[in-house]
Amino acid sequence: MKMFDRHLSRHLAAYVDGELPPDRARKAEGHLSQCARCRAELEQVRLGMTIVERLPLTEAPESVWNSIQGTLSTHEPRRPFPIHIWRFAGGAAVALILVAAGLYWYSARQAETRWEVVSLNGSPKVASRPIHGVGHIAVGEWIETSGSSRARIKVGEIGSVDVEPNTRLRLVTARPGEHRLALRSGEITASIAAPPRLFFVETPAGTAVDLGCQYKLHCDATGHGLLRVTAGWVSIEWSGREALVPAGASCRTRPRIGPGTPYFDDAPARLVGALETFDFADGSSALGIILAASRARDTLTLWHLLSRVGAAERPRVYDRMVEFSAPPSGVSRDQVLRLDAQTLGRWREELAWTW
Amino acid sequence: MVSLSDREISAEIIDSCRQGDRDAFRALYDAYKDKVYSISLYFFHGDAMAAGDATQQVFLKLITGIRQFRGDAGFSTWLYRLVVNTCLDGARQYKSHAVIVDRSVLEAVVRGGSQEEELARMQIASSVQSAVSSLPPKFRLAILLRYFEDLSYEEMAKILNCSMGTVASRLSRGHRILAEKLAPLKGWLSTRHE
Repeated sequence: MKMFDRHLSRHLAAYVDGELPPDRARKAEGHLSQCARCRAELEQVRLGMTIVERLPLTEAPESVWNSIQGTLSTHEPRRPFPIHIWRFAGGAAVALILVAAGLYWYSARQAETRWEVVSLNGSPKVASRPIHGVGHIAVGEWIETSGSSRARIKVGEIGSVDVEPNTRLRLVTARPGEHRLALRSGEITASIAAPPRLFFVETPAGTAVDLGCQYKLHCDATGHGLLRVTAGWVSIEWSGREALVPAGASCRTRPRIGPGTPYFDDAPARLVGALETFDFADGSSALGIILAASRARDTLTLWHLLSRVGAAERPRVYDRMVEFSAPPSGVSRDQVLRLDAQTLGRWREELAWTW
Repeated sequence: MVSLSDREISAEIIDSCRQGDRDAFRALYDAYKDKVYSISLYFFHGDAMAAGDATQQVFLKLITGIRQFRGDAGFSTWLYRLVVNTCLDGARQYKSHAVIVDRSVLEAVVRGGSQEEELARMQIASSVQSAVSSLPPKFRLAILLRYFEDLSYEEMAKILNCSMGTVASRLSRGHRILAEKLAPLKGWLSTRHE
């Protein structure tokens, strides 16, 4: 299709902002010279831009910094080891440098291979040794809590994990570029503030991948899991199967099956029940219940179902989604039914604004 | 003090932040605080408390995660991605307020005499804020990022996790909605364009 045979509506801001490539800008000019409708819309876009220029920049109150500073004071960042070389001379200075370098290397090495653990209740155990107050967990070691103990692990420099009662958890990797735990059973609450894909929790039924978030992850003795996200996004992945779970949503997991289909915590009980049947039992009859019970917000669930139902049932899911939200331009029924990855991604981008 | 460009904080400041330098954190905060706060303020319908909370969360996440910032994406891209995610998370927690743009007030302002100019400016600023706040979130964030940080469409596409075409579409649609809501201002703006 030649660009701008159709109206320019979607491209007008790019035209005004000089974001169109030169050849497309020339075509746009040609179209505008012949199309009164697009000229009227262009005038509206320009007026909108003039209006936005009236928005004043508002100064952040000093109280915001005070709050940040207060929080930072309780989580003081680690500073490099100070070396005041000028106080010493000759061999003493050299000796000090060697000692300091050794200490710094040791401290950095320790930070890369073990994390701080604080007992919150009772006496959690690390490597079978009880911890009172503050201790450490090293790569390869297990932390275990009883029915009356809890602990908090400081995850490098990026956040923390609360280890709830009756939990077994192992530290797998502790590097700045990869923070990885393995949850065998029990429950953890993770609060991570870092760029995406730096923090991972393995479970018998999938790996939770942090995309900048807070979440609870539960795993029972049989390996059945439940992820509940309270802020940001988490991806849960197993053997090529993936579920994207936003804040306010949950996802069940099962060994040898992986993540089920995510759903919002306020979804109708009928939908949640039918989803469990669909994901982990015979799903043929459950799909009808899921579609009938779904609401506009449940396009989160329906979007995931597109790639989980068979080709014969995919049109039913698509048609139900369209009842709630018309697909954006560039997303066609054929492409969706063929599971074109780019098309599905584009639709998810649009739907995510309503999730 | 290291001098900062309007757009991108220096690598030196980021390196110092990685080392835990509190003065560098403050320099970084000062460079971006008003833009982050203003975007949050207009996103949360002028709710100063929600905007303050969001700004605090953004900088805490940024400070906590800066040791892991690898520089493979621009610093601004990472920062504004945090802003977008924090605003959207906040929107799920706060009940959204209905925002109504009162066209009759605007028409009265436009008819007003020159001695009422200052009052008119204040009322128009308030109406513009209300109109921006009333936009659907996807249009609102695109416009706020574009206006307050003058980001390119490519940068915005990375921040908003969408294509450049989608960015263009959201900006076009968002600006047209604003123009429709604030149509009575058209003549007034053209005579007082600063």
